[in-house]
Amino acid sequence: MTLLRRASLRHLLRHPGQLALSILGVALGVAVVVAIDLAIQSSREGFTVSAETVAGRATHQIVGGADGVAERSVAAVRRAANVEAAAPVVEGLASSPDLPGMALRVLGVDPFSEGPFRPYLGGDDGQGEDSSGEGGFSVADFITTPRAAVLSAATAERAGLRPGDSLVVMVGGRLVPLPVIATVDPTDELTRAGLRDVVLMDIASAQGLVGRPGQISRIDLRLAGSGPSAELSAVLPPGTRLEPAGTRTDTLAGMIGAFDLNLTALSFLAMIFGMFLIYNAQTFSVVQRRELLGGLRALGVTRGEVLRTVLGESVVIGTLGAALGVAAGVVLGRGLVGLVTRTINDLYFVLTIDGLSVPPAVLAKGAVLGLATTVLAALPPALEAASVQPRMARIRSIKEGQTRRMVPRAAAAGAALALVGTALLLIPTRNLIVSFAGLFLVLLGMALTTPLATVVLARAATPLLTRTSGILGTMAARDVVAALSRTAPAIAALVVAVSVTVGLGIMIQSFRGTLIDWLDGTLQADVYVSLPSVQAARAAGTLPTALLDTLVGHPRVVGRSTYRGNEVVLIDGVVRLVALDLDPRGEAAFDFLEGDAASAFPAFRTSDAVLVSEPLAYRRGLELGDSFSLPTSSGTVGFRIAGVFYDYAADQGVVMMSRRTYDRYHDDGGVTSLGLFLEEGVDVESVVRDLEARVPDGLVVTVRTNQALRRGSLEVFDRTFQVTAVLRLLAFVVAFVGVLSALMALELERSRELGVLRANGLTPGQVWQLVTTQTGLMGAISGILAVPMGWVLALVMIHVVNKRSFGWTLHMEVGPDVVLQALGLALVGAIVAGVYPAWRMSRVSPAEALRGE
Amino acid sequence: MAGCDSPDVRSDVGRLSLAETLGDVETAGYARALAPRPFSFPEDHGPHPAFKTEWWYVTGNVTTADGRPFGFQFTVFRSALSPPDRAAGGGASAWSTNQAFMGHFGLSDPDGGTFHAFERFARGAVGIAGAHAAPFRVWIDDWALESESEDAFLPLRLSARADGAALDLRLVDGKPRVLQGRDGLSQKGPEPGNASYYYAYTRLPVEGTIRVGGESLAVAGSGWLDREWSTSSLGPGQVGWDWFALQLDDGWDLMVYQLRNADGSADPTSDGVLVSPEGERVPLRWGRDFEIAALDQWRSAVDGASYPSRWKVTVPSRDLDLTVVPVLEDQELNLAFRYWEGAVRVEGSSRGEPVRGRGYVELTGYAGPRPSR
Repeated sequence: MTLLRRASLRHLLRHPGQLALSILGVALGVAVVVAIDLAIQSSREGFTVSAETVAGRATHQIVGGADGVAERSVAAVRRAANVEAAAPVVEGLASSPDLPGMALRVLGVDPFSEGPFRPYLGGDDGQGEDSSGEGGFSVADFITTPRAAVLSAATAERAGLRPGDSLVVMVGGRLVPLPVIATVDPTDELTRAGLRDVVLMDIASAQGLVGRPGQISRIDLRLAGSGPSAELSAVLPPGTRLEPAGTRTDTLAGMIGAFDLNLTALSFLAMIFGMFLIYNAQTFSVVQRRELLGGLRALGVTRGEVLRTVLGESVVIGTLGAALGVAAGVVLGRGLVGLVTRTINDLYFVLTIDGLSVPPAVLAKGAVLGLATTVLAALPPALEAASVQPRMARIRSIKEGQTRRMVPRAAAAGAALALVGTALLLIPTRNLIVSFAGLFLVLLGMALTTPLATVVLARAATPLLTRTSGILGTMAARDVVAALSRTAPAIAALVVAVSVTVGLGIMIQSFRGTLIDWLDGTLQADVYVSLPSVQAARAAGTLPTALLDTLVGHPRVVGRSTYRGNEVVLIDGVVRLVALDLDPRGEAAFDFLEGDAASAFPAFRTSDAVLVSEPLAYRRGLELGDSFSLPTSSGTVGFRIAGVFYDYAADQGVVMMSRRTYDRYHDDGGVTSLGLFLEEGVDVESVVRDLEARVPDGLVVTVRTNQALRRGSLEVFDRTFQVTAVLRLLAFVVAFVGVLSALMALELERSRELGVLRANGLTPGQVWQLVTTQTGLMGAISGILAVPMGWVLALVMIHVVNKRSFGWTLHMEVGPDVVLQALGLALVGAIVAGVYPAWRMSRVSPAEALRGE
Repeated sequence: MAGCDSPDVRSDVGRLSLAETLGDVETAGYARALAPRPFSFPEDHGPHPAFKTEWWYVTGNVTTADGRPFGFQFTVFRSALSPPDRAAGGGASAWSTNQAFMGHFGLSDPDGGTFHAFERFARGAVGIAGAHAAPFRVWIDDWALESESEDAFLPLRLSARADGAALDLRLVDGKPRVLQGRDGLSQKGPEPGNASYYYAYTRLPVEGTIRVGGESLAVAGSGWLDREWSTSSLGPGQVGWDWFALQLDDGWDLMVYQLRNADGSADPTSDGVLVSPEGERVPLRWGRDFEIAALDQWRSAVDGASYPSRWKVTVPSRDLDLTVVPVLEDQELNLAFRYWEGAVRVEGSSRGEPVRGRGYVELTGYAGPRPSR
């Protein structure tokens, strides 16, 4: 071992706290990145596996609009040229008291058509392999046993069922027993995973349970090599389209793209904090060793050797931190994946996953990122160490002098970066990568201006501190500036951390406030009725017509609106199509961004005009008067846009169509939810009880007051932001650890200086005062800087990131609590960080501290 | 075969039809062929869903203008998945049905040395597959046998296409319809009810096109249509049958079948008929009127299962002495329901005069189900 290495090792080991904090910083950053990545990957993989398992080996699919595909077209499609095989599919959702908390996908198939498509059904997989594994069942039983179901062996076991038992499912508000005639246990792991939430049924049974007469969900096709034939195109039913298999899966997966990217960006923020931390710690360890390094240089050690040594240390720290971070990331990921999938379930599509899948690639990516970030962050201090002149090393003032000269330059560079970032943000694009790049540049730019702001604020604070704390106050304030090479990175880190907390806080607060205002406007009816759903934001199934009449017939009911919601998968995205039979009292529910109630509603009621939500208009660049095309049973029809309204319920976008228009183009009488307007002054709660009593036995219907629905919506909102809240907390923890380590190191390094002061008569209490005043000042500076910076961050998050990600306009709300929180957080963080050094310094005897002098 | 537990949908359906063919089925709730019944047309051309199984069975031999021979088989099997008194499982859905259809299409090309066999399965719902009496039509997707006109059963149009082979044939009136067995009741097993209702058109002149090996060929020849429906047929000891449908060039047609017992012996319920050029029916009784003797055997390349091949068929009372030779040895339909069904050449003598002919032979119960790959 060379002398240099021994010196390096000795340094690391002599400062175990510093080493531990550095490793912790890397580990936390890596853990957050890995955890989010794993959670996202697991949810995506869960979705893809399910989708692919259900789609089977189709090469193409025929899909339709809100109505699905007319079943009478199947025979002609099967006969068309180039169609090697065609399998009709009916899909729908159900839940089961036997499998609580799980959304079940009912997959209705025609076993005679299945062979080439879904080999787990026991068909010929065309590859000479029997992939059905154990099990198998009689086709005759499958088809002729009313409501017969087949489950995967694992699902049956989870539900505690055996063939011969019945799986009770909740569909359309009723509990329906499905005889489980058999289980299948595919040999292939992925298929097994894909089947975990699938209830296989004969297409006829499935259509009766979750479908609509005459309509099926799609037709899976295997086309011969040359692809779609003209003959096939000619027999496609109106309003349907033929697309390569996987298109639909991709489109659906695209729904969560912005959501995923926002989470990923937040996780990178944690990594950036980690980077700050490394930079801080490494800079500090170099500063500590200036004399040693200078000595070594004087002994003939080259610049390259010093550079390699310092970088080598960062590799050690990076490796240990990354390893720890990957392990912690897996643990954290297990917690986050639940939150992520629940949000996807609430807002986008039904998703069940078995747990966290841990692809080695994700772990490797996290580890490499951690290591690379560490080395990158250590590069400036390493270069600095290598540049130490043997003669100058002992003189710290030279270093501080250099730092002070750097301050204006850093600020200028910061301003330039912030400008570039702002320019990026101003580019009118919907590209989120560009937006986040702009955001990060602005953040970094602002961070670079903190040293200058620190100098200004510390000088401004000096008279105040002198007045309150005398000479100790003056010393505390001056030391912040005098030791700028070490205080500035610490303050910058704290500012960034607090400003992110503030920014996210403002963003969430604004979002919530906007949502509350919107809900207050939107929920015009007094009582809402729908079927219980496994998805928070979606009603499941249609209400029985007789029930609608019964409820509307209640003597206190003076008006009603009905809704029929359908997800329509277009070639380039998903939209929510709502057929709305709107009571005039409900018109106030719409707040128009473009158009106005006076012109929009007459057009909506009397012509084919539709109303579209802001996210839809934003995403597709639609304006008032434009036409929006939708597939219908009568073919693809362009609907004129009579108004664009604010909406925060579905970021993929909503099209509101009057019931009259909807019925003209669709063969679907269903109503998914009902809004009831009551007489003025009646007791809403008692009417709700009356209405509930009118629901026939055996039917489960959710009857909610306006207020209950509002509460429910906010609960979903809060749930959605739990992930963000967790990340916000984690980012803060990383930054806090960084600040803690920086401040502690800073104060510990001052032990000699404090020893001199102690020898000159400073009492232990005064040491306490000096140290905490100084860290407190740094905290105050950070807090003061973090508020405007957080505000800028929130501004960008609200008006750029959220708008571009989800398409909606949020109204910014900055409450005093957020500002106070920021100041408090920074102050408390900084003071807490000063406690240990103060405690240690006050206990050390002056002689001990001065031994080296 | 009944012990086959493969979850394979195809073999499952194949098993259904085979199982019922072997009589190893639940017959409760189905109609049975217990006694002769009055036939009623055109209704009886259509399906009889109260019976478990039914088929429309067309075979024929054709040649091109320059004499290249082909044999073809086209069969639509109907199979009830549950008795008619039990509602189908799917409720009001248009997909709800208890009728399953299986189609077999075979094409023998002795000059080309190839035999093609294809199968299809479909549920009898939403127009995918089905059977109608009038206008007559049975079909599975684009495989169809249907009347050309709305008001007459004949002529028939037969069309089927598959990978590398296709048929588009017109079958016209040749000889009148004959009722097989006792007034159309064809006893198979000794027990009452182990029987089918059975009629046939033994000679239907055919012309049309065959597509094989990328070539489209104009052909003409003679076809045969068998119609049979039943709920169970074979008795407990019976394992299969050898069935012969021979068209002689002196205008006579011969149908004989021999039901085989597990010990290899022929069952006394075996039966036959001769049809004169004018369409008159001459019943033949097994053990007295005809004899079938296998001269050779052929082993399936699939698993070595052994089938008889080349036969001596004699009707002593008519001084009819025929040698029946497959145009190709391998005409085994290695499908979910596995059997041998092939075109044959006939040579021999009738009342001392040399006679030639063509026909089809069906051999069941010689091989197990298609081995799973």
